[in-house]
This record gives sequence, structure tokens and C-alpha cells, in this order.
Amino acid sequence: MSAATSLKRSSGWVVAAVLAVAAQTASASPEEAKQWLQRMTEALATRNYIGLFTHSTPAQSESMRIVHRVENGISLERLVSLDGSGREIIRTREEVHAYLPDRRVVLVEPRSDDGSLLKALPAPDARLDAFYDLDVRKGNRLLGREVRVVDIKPHDRYRYGYRIWLDEKTAMPLRSVVGDGDGRPVEQISFTSLELMKHIPDSEVEATVDATGFQWIRTGRRLAALPPTPPTAGGWRPLHLPPGFRLVASRLQVLPGSPVPAQHLIFSDGMAAISIFIEPGAASGPTPPESSSMGSANAYSTSIKGHVVTAVGEVPVDTVREVATSVVPMGMPTAPIAAPGAPDR
Amino acid sequence: MTDQIREQVSALLDGELSRDEIGLLVRRMERDPELRRSFGSYSLIGETLRAPGGLTARPSFAARVSAAIDGPESGRVPDVPAAARSPAFWRRPAFATAIAAGVAVAGFLLVQPSTTTSPTSLVARPALVYRAAASPTPAQSQRLAGYLVAHSQFSSPMGRRSVWSGLLAADPSLQRVAYEIQDAP
Repeated sequence: MSAATSLKRSSGWVVAAVLAVAAQTASASPEEAKQWLQRMTEALATRNYIGLFTHSTPAQSESMRIVHRVENGISLERLVSLDGSGREIIRTREEVHAYLPDRRVVLVEPRSDDGSLLKALPAPDARLDAFYDLDVRKGNRLLGREVRVVDIKPHDRYRYGYRIWLDEKTAMPLRSVVGDGDGRPVEQISFTSLELMKHIPDSEVEATVDATGFQWIRTGRRLAALPPTPPTAGGWRPLHLPPGFRLVASRLQVLPGSPVPAQHLIFSDGMAAISIFIEPGAASGPTPPESSSMGSANAYSTSIKGHVVTAVGEVPVDTVREVATSVVPMGMPTAPIAAPGAPDR
Repeated sequence: MTDQIREQVSALLDGELSRDEIGLLVRRMERDPELRRSFGSYSLIGETLRAPGGLTARPSFAARVSAAIDGPESGRVPDVPAAARSPAFWRRPAFATAIAAGVAVAGFLLVQPSTTTSPTSLVARPALVYRAAASPTPAQSQRLAGYLVAHSQFSSPMGRRSVWSGLLAADPSLQRVAYEIQDAP
């Protein structure tokens, strides 16, 4: 079965989900679900917290520790793998540092929000219920807290579904499950402890990895922000985008191992995001793997007209594959891209 | 891995381990990558040999491990009542087993629809696993990490957590195997 056929076939998952929703007499309105999602987004970005959680995928299960601190409207964050690799990611005021001790490498990228997350606080898209069924209901207690359960079920197979258990008092997510179009969970995050704090010391948001002798690679020196609409010449665009995904940003940046800037296009449907990177092929270092899955994130790379085109996103692998393989130079006669203000495909 | 642990893994796959013993073994798996890999290999072999027309895990096996994972002794966050769940998305015992145990390969195999898999293809699949496990190279992994870090800057807070967790946890070569198995003819 081709990727396109796979994406278009009807989803038993949706049917099952609709039946399940219909069976629940205590269901709330989609608007209430959106309000809970908005509260969750604000809580994640504005609260000080330290938590332990288990990140599980079909491939592995790993314990993580997360620290989030807000100071003067700037969000600092640190995520540490407690098992195996000892990898660690830190968002400082200006940059994101990914420590990969197993590779003896630190990847460094400037923050895209210029340090002020609160200014660019993402909000659930008002059109979210055009692409997902939304529902919220009372759940069983978790971690000693009263819980609301929010279901976000996709209308098609281009995107994942979500079930999120939110603390009623703070709207912090205590558990989340991401599932594919067949109803199979692809990722689960379950907190085993979560502490909201007034103050978090500096030491908690500093790296513990001894990076002596590591190679520091500044991956994302941003060269220029492109206009948030498709460039009229010299750019690239995907011909196939799932309904509802709109261009939210585009920029030029340098990627690791490549001296030549890549075009980076970012699309979002209000829940998930898809990035497309277009790089000149021969001079840009090692070819990326064709496809990779990391939890709910998938990546697919292909070669198009002498360029390496890579799509990355929290969407099914068929979606990133279809998006990546549909990318063409702007000059080609094609159907219009889904972009801000443009009708969805 | 000691012989005793090896015997416990074998007993688990044969459905002969008690609920308490399953809980202990699952917790040990969470701490021990070698044990997780071994469990993945054992379960792959076991299920391949056992399944007459497909790769569906036996209900008793899946239910016992899932019960241990969901139970209070597992140390995990308790689950919602079964009645509150939608049937397909959240109630896949075989998948729950795979997720919690951290099975590298068997997780994907255990949920393959049995009606689409012939005994011949069952035997062929481990060969695909072996071949795909050789890649990607460290340079490719590093490049992939760069994409993920750049992408995560535009994700929602929850999306960013997922992307970062995937990056920290992943051995990309293992997860790439899973993808290629799904697409195998």
C-alpha cells in the first residue's frame, strides 16, 4: 500500500473514538476542552516546576527529570535522561544546548523566541476542532491530585491523537499518551513526581555533564528570518500538506556539518508542528538517514533536484514522508501551498 | 545478565511468572538496557515461533504484564478506569506491554495484524531487523539531532517535551529498525 493510500484510507480509530465519545454522557464541549488546553499551555510555560517522568515508546522506556524556571518573563528549562546515555538538553536565556555525551558533542542553537517565551506563548489554534474531536471529562486521581482528562482525536491519519491528564488545580499535565491513526499509542509520558515551586536555584538549570573535550557545534546560526509567507522566488514549498497545517515561520540557518545555510519552513495545525529543511546536497556533509522515529517525532529525508529535503514533526511517519517528497522549487507549475490566509487543501 | 534473570525472562514469556515477580522484573528492565534488549530478542523469537498465523501476543502474556505495569506495585502513575477509555486507542494490551517493558523490536511486531502476516514472513522479519540495525552512522545521528533541536523551537511546550525526550532517549538505529519492519513486504 502506498503512503498516499495509507494516509487516505478510512480510520477505524476515528470510528471507535467517536463511538466512545458518544457513550460518555458527561462529555463537555469542545470549547471547554480548548480552555483546558490553553490553561495547560500557560501552566507549562509560566510555572516553576521540577518533575520526574517516564518517557515510553514502543522501542524503549526511560526516566527523565525536567526542571522549568521562569525569571523575568524568560523560560529556562533543563531535561535530563536518568538512564543510559546521560544526554541532557538545556534552554538558557539565549540558546538551546543539547549535550550528547555518547557522541562527545554539544549542539548549540540560538533560541528562536529571543529568550522571551511568554511573548511568543503558543496557544491552541481556534480552528483546532476543525481537525480534531475535543472532549474533556473528570478523571481518576493521579499523584494525589484531582484530574481532568482531555481527549484530542484527529479527523484523519495525517496527525496523531492525544489523551492528556491535567491537574485540575494547576492544569499541569500529569500524564499524556500520543496515539497513531490505528489507535496504537506511540508515546507515553507519565509523571511519577511533580513539584511546583516558588523558587528554583540556578544549579538546577545548569548542565551536570562534564563537557571537557567535547565538540561544540553551533547548529543554528540564524542568518535571516524570511517573511512568514512563501518567498516569491528562490524558495521551496511542499505540494502536499495535511489540511489545517499553515506556514507559521521560515528562516535560513546553518545545520551541523553544513557550511551552507538551509531553508527552514515551519508549519503548524495548532497542536503539532512540521519542519522542512532544504539544503544543497553535495556540500552539506553526511546524508541524513532516510527515516527515523524518536517517540512521537518522525523524520524523513529525500533528495530532490540536488538538495537534501528533510521533514521533521510530531506527526506520523507517513505524513513527514509525503510532505518531504512533495517539496519542489518555487518556479515549478504546481498547486498552491497552504499558507496563512490561504484555504486549506 | 545472570542465569536466574534469564530464567525469569523465559518464565515471563511462558506466562509462568507471578504478578509480583512480573512487577520486579519490569522494574529491573527499566534500569537495565541489556535486560531490555534481551527481553526484546527473547520475545521476538518466542512470539515468532508460537504465532501460527500472526504476531499477536497471547492474551494471558499481555494481560499479566500489563496488569503488573498498571498496578500499584509498578511505581507508575495509576491508570484511568477501563470503562472510561476508548477501545482502540488506549486499550492495546500487547502495546502496553511493549511500551512499559521497553522492548526494542518486539513492540512493533506484537501489534502487527495477524491476518496480514504469513508464517513465511514471520521468519523473514528478524533478518530485516539485523540488516537495518547497522545504520544510521554517528554523523547521521548528529545531523538528525540538529534537525530535532531546530524543530523543537517551534513546537508547543508539550510537543517540545516530546521531541526532547525522544532525542535524549533514542538510539536512532533501534527505532529506525521498527520503521523498516512496518514497511517490510
